[in-house]
Amino acid sequence: MASSEENEMYSKKQWEGCMEIAVQTARTAGQVIREAFKHEKEVSTKSSPVDLVTETDRLVEDLIISSLREKYPSHRFIGEESSAAGEKCLLTDSPTWIIDPIDGTCNFIHSFPMVAVSIGFAVNKELEFGVIYHCLDENLYTARKGHGAFCNGIQLQVSKETADAFTHGDLQRLGCVNYASAAESLTITSHLKDGAQEDMSKALILTEIGAKRDPATLKIFSGNMERLLKAQVHGIRVIGSATLALCQVASGAADAYYQFGLHCWDIAAAAVIIREAGGNVIDTSGGPLDLMSRRIVAAGTVEMAHYIAQEIQTITYERDDHNAN
Amino acid sequence: MSDVWEECMDHGVAAARKAGEVVREALKNEGCMSVMLKSSPADLVTETDQKVESMIISSIKEKFPTHSFIGEESVAAGESSILTDNPTWIIDPIDGTTNFVHRFPFVAVSIGFAVKKELEFGVVYSCMEDKMYTARKGRGAFCNGVQLKVSGQEDITKSLIITELGSNRNPDTVRRVLANMDRLLCVPVHGIRAVGTAAVNMCLVATGGADAYYEIGIHCWDMAAAAVIVTEAGGVVMDVTGGPFDLMSRRLITASSRAIGERIAKELQAFPCERDDGKKEDQL
Repeated sequence: MASSEENEMYSKKQWEGCMEIAVQTARTAGQVIREAFKHEKEVSTKSSPVDLVTETDRLVEDLIISSLREKYPSHRFIGEESSAAGEKCLLTDSPTWIIDPIDGTCNFIHSFPMVAVSIGFAVNKELEFGVIYHCLDENLYTARKGHGAFCNGIQLQVSKETADAFTHGDLQRLGCVNYASAAESLTITSHLKDGAQEDMSKALILTEIGAKRDPATLKIFSGNMERLLKAQVHGIRVIGSATLALCQVASGAADAYYQFGLHCWDIAAAAVIIREAGGNVIDTSGGPLDLMSRRIVAAGTVEMAHYIAQEIQTITYERDDHNAN
Repeated sequence: MSDVWEECMDHGVAAARKAGEVVREALKNEGCMSVMLKSSPADLVTETDQKVESMIISSIKEKFPTHSFIGEESVAAGESSILTDNPTWIIDPIDGTTNFVHRFPFVAVSIGFAVKKELEFGVVYSCMEDKMYTARKGRGAFCNGVQLKVSGQEDITKSLIITELGSNRNPDTVRRVLANMDRLLCVPVHGIRAVGTAAVNMCLVATGGADAYYEIGIHCWDMAAAAVIVTEAGGVVMDVTGGPFDLMSRRLITASSRAIGERIAKELQAFPCERDDGKKEDQL
């Protein structure tokens, strides 16, 4: 009988093989998407008038799942379009592929050039590896637990941004032009907790809007942005693809990402990539990441992640596993 | 048919490409960039901004010694930003300095050119993506040689809109910026994007990848080149009130159609911004 160590070694080798297949599959899917990008798209809506889907989403997901199922008939699959068709988002101990065939469908429809295929993989409910393929730039982001994160073979490292204390003395030291007027135009808000502002100034933050557009939700969404801008962050960006935005955090080009309304298939691959690049992913409550919770905070440093979690107010979305008993 | 400004435009493209190389080199340097602040803690400038602008201006001055210049860093150092009838180069050496500092991949060199206060050509080089956007009045708009066409979208409820939060951190301004965004999201539009550079945002509209871009608070050097690119791709530029575009007004809407532009104007509430030419409202 094989020892548990031998089993573990066998499993690890097997997951490496799975990851290679995931990479090939992502590239093939990416090519299909690239071709379709140039053409007219037929658009339908899902949970709201701005939650969009196309034939290409369904085609690509079928392509990915059928080619994976052929090689791994005993594995399970959680996919965005299968889920929309009624499949349950149930994560068991079985090896499970967690797939977003087109992350950034709205971008795809508009030919806005930020579209990705995302393939995550979990065993015993632990995320093991992630593959995210930027279909237009052909950038391949990969990470396997314990083996680092890469973009096109180059190792990724998150930013370790924890800004220095923000004082008027710092302004002078930095050689600020028009010092007097800059100092007047600053609003150093006193409501922030001690040290909190220091963590946030100089941060570049990414987020996404989510599918809910009712006034109450938008009030919270804007309120969250307002609070972060008050903390004198360098800027907030919105690119329309959660997985690619999370990859920007992994590469160090952005310091943090937060969102309400994304899905497990947006999180699964990117969480591994960020962790393997040295970053942190947590729940918006400050607790550990909950894959099915529809929300995330990701950052290069744990301080930044927790600060954002403290500042943002929740927008509630139904859990991905809401119908899984 | 010969084009009297063709030589200038070729020079503009060459200067933008060279500047892009300098920017890419600076990004390769492992060390921290030395970052200075201008009007707010979110309004950044680096030595590369200043170096690139000097380089562009001196290369142009050598070939065209009688021409005028409006450049972001020259203006910050006290030069005039008044547009005269003289052939004038309107330059943003690094549009997206915040992105540059973070290595977030949207950074552009923007070179616009006006004669008798009319924009004649525009060059925007998105240097991290190696995308060279160009347009000559009356001759179309291109990206890396491929002709550009706006989406033509007329239905606001099917539109993707780009805007920015800007570098003004005055709480009242921030609230107004967010309120404008909320009103558009409620229409509802398909989505809002913000990549961090006005010039690239406008070029994305020119490609058809987005249906409109609007912002209050940008400068003439952010808009000049890309305004030609969008209009030559079949789009429109207008003031945020729906009135005619004013290069020195610190604001614009650019859109794939007049219908979208005017619909956006209906939702926007403008807030005051000091004009680039220093004129007051009653002097207009």
